[in-house]
Amino acid sequence: MTASLKRTLSGQGALIALLALCLITALLTHRFLSPLNLSNILVQSSIMAVIAIGMTFVIVGGGFDLSVGSTVALAGCFAAMTMVQFGLLAGVVAGIATGIAVGLINGVIIAYLGVNPFITTLGTMVLVRGLVYLVTGGAPVGDEQLPAAFLAFGSARFLGIHYLVWVPAILLIVLSWVMAATPYGRRVYATGGNREAAYLSGVPVGRIIASTYVWCGGLAGLAGVMLAARLQSGQPTAGEFYELTAIAAVVLGGASLQGGEGTLYKSIIGVFIMVVLGNSLNLLNVDSYWQRVAIGVVIIAAAAADRLRSRH
Amino acid sequence: MSAPAVSGRGLTKQFGATHALDGVDFDVQAAEVHALVGENGAGKSTLVRVLSGVHRPDQGEIAVGGTVRRFNGPRDAIAAGIITIPQELRLVPALSVAENLTLGDPPLRRVAGLNTIDRARMRKTARDELAQLDFAPDPDIRVDRLSFAERQLIAIARALRRQCRVLILDEPTAALETREIERLFAVLARMKRQGTAIIYVSHRLDEIVALADRCTVLRDGRVATTSRRGSFNVTDLVAAMTGSAAAKGEGFFPSPFLGSADQPEQAPRSALLEDAVERPDAIRLRPREVTGLAGLLGSGASGILRRLFGIGGGTSTIRRDGIMRRLASPADAVRAGIGFVPGERRLGLIMNLSARDNILLPSLDRLTRGRGGGIDRARADRLVRELMELLDIRPRNTRLSASAFSGGNQQKIILAKWLAREVGVLLLEEPTQGVDVAAKAQIHRLIRAFAEGGGGVLLRSSDFAELTLVCDAILAVHRGRTTDRLERADGFDEKRLHTAIGA
Repeated sequence: MTASLKRTLSGQGALIALLALCLITALLTHRFLSPLNLSNILVQSSIMAVIAIGMTFVIVGGGFDLSVGSTVALAGCFAAMTMVQFGLLAGVVAGIATGIAVGLINGVIIAYLGVNPFITTLGTMVLVRGLVYLVTGGAPVGDEQLPAAFLAFGSARFLGIHYLVWVPAILLIVLSWVMAATPYGRRVYATGGNREAAYLSGVPVGRIIASTYVWCGGLAGLAGVMLAARLQSGQPTAGEFYELTAIAAVVLGGASLQGGEGTLYKSIIGVFIMVVLGNSLNLLNVDSYWQRVAIGVVIIAAAAADRLRSRH
Repeated sequence: MSAPAVSGRGLTKQFGATHALDGVDFDVQAAEVHALVGENGAGKSTLVRVLSGVHRPDQGEIAVGGTVRRFNGPRDAIAAGIITIPQELRLVPALSVAENLTLGDPPLRRVAGLNTIDRARMRKTARDELAQLDFAPDPDIRVDRLSFAERQLIAIARALRRQCRVLILDEPTAALETREIERLFAVLARMKRQGTAIIYVSHRLDEIVALADRCTVLRDGRVATTSRRGSFNVTDLVAAMTGSAAAKGEGFFPSPFLGSADQPEQAPRSALLEDAVERPDAIRLRPREVTGLAGLLGSGASGILRRLFGIGGGTSTIRRDGIMRRLASPADAVRAGIGFVPGERRLGLIMNLSARDNILLPSLDRLTRGRGGGIDRARADRLVRELMELLDIRPRNTRLSASAFSGGNQQKIILAKWLAREVGVLLLEEPTQGVDVAAKAQIHRLIRAFAEGGGGVLLRSSDFAELTLVCDAILAVHRGRTTDRLERADGFDEKRLHTAIGA
């Protein structure tokens, strides 16, 4: 392989893996490329993509967030409850604000009290899930009482593409710019790359780290609202294992858990890999227990490939 | 003469397109100190790694005591008696001195049929081993409570516990004070008498002239010269390291800079930066002046730099251009136009980010299009390119990650950060540590140029030659207070300085 081709391909491992996965599945079953299936994949990816974008902020900043799954459920239920009482807009704001609040708590504890992010967010993950059951009594919230416009949002399209898909698409464009081209974005990379060196360069590292959790929480809140629209109700059990899928997607996209590395669009490719893999195993009628095994293997293989590459 | 303790013949190692080693012959005899010098990137580290089994040579062979050996990893080299003391010591910070020393083969005792660690014997072993080095720390103290020099002795003591035929030291004195260097040299002299072969890698040429029995100069992966004690001096070594061009001396000890004393006396210059509260180690920096800071480890000299940069707990109050400022964090100090180059490069750079990102980091908020806008890429690129040109940072690749630059160029990137921010005051901590002679001279010239442009510099260095070369005045620090101030006009007296710092 020539050096320039190698350079173009290096760092695009996730994209190559995704294309290979699509190609293999398409060869094995004609159903994969049907418009209905492709549209399904996009919708299934949309909510996870919003979460993964937030997770990328945290992981690039050198952190970790296990609480997003619970936050999705709490935000969805809060949004549904508020919406029934005060209307659509208030509900959406309540859902996002819930996520921001959880993120702020995580961020302050991690950035200013110096508690390990894994432990902190493990705690909030359990705590927030508890709150969901307390608030809802364990029963779904909303159903037919939800505003019609909200229910439509979960399934309607704009220019032939689901509203649910537009959300991460727009977020990806705007937030990629924030990460790459604003002082704030560069400081997130610097802080994650070497917190002490960033501090000694005058970067307010505490504020930066806390802010990444606010992004992550807020976007998880938004994802909760989207999921409620799709499920037509706020579900207290929603979002379980979402944190693991999101983290796996971000790592598949090449972000480093050491911090300082990762891009939003590659994280989204990671999300697609996870969703397409599940989809193709479904289409090929692979037993769902074996699907879990396969997905676990893929995650470890991707991380190991990354280690081998960086060692070289 | 008997077979060398270790020898390499025709050693060649390639990384990608670069020949890190190109047919190098090198050997060290028992009871000999063989120094290895060369500029950054000349191949010293690669040679050390090949001899210690970290890298396998592409070509060539290694012989230990005359027998050809193949090392499949550092373990093989250690088993053959080749022990390396790297710059970054491999000790476990949270374990005690005794535990670190006996790590791997702790003294055991059988209790109820189980092997348990015999703590009393472990302590005694540690005490005995360290006593041989004239070092008597509490064996139960955690290693991270010790100074770097003390940790280095622990690492050497650990090497001595194993059967050590060849000891390789990589830049052992880079972080040491004069007194500690003397202790280290005494230890090395004793080991040499006992028959250990020592390979000594250093940038400090005066040390090598004093210590080495033989000296090999590497240049571009090849042996430039190997000479015996008495037949080399600092000038020869520099000539061999840099090739003939730079050997003419341009830049390497440049003629003494003209100090402030030679300038017509102006009205008393106001302070650029001074402590606003009375204290025993108060600092006053004037524009166009480089002030040196001399002091042993633990003297409080480093603390002064950190205080003036808003680190190290608590808020410090200073006057900057006459205006009172409270510094609670580096961000405050940067806003006050102060830049800090820390002694450890990993604290000055974010290694996985590009040179460009590193240089721009302190100045990001000044490079936006309007408030809250994006970074003006054209302006940022121009600034980075200009600085890389001005500071001669090589290669001139703005996108290359900081880790890919050599030590000297990394140090220049850190300086470029603060020049990009246009700070008025630079606080420098050992800015030329582990940097080759050519880059060192460039950095010295930069410091002078910064001062002559109206800036003020506070330079902490453990290298007296560096202080006398660059500074207008030298402050001595001892036990948290400034004990003396030497002016260039009076001539810098090394004895007087040593007395003042308590050496």
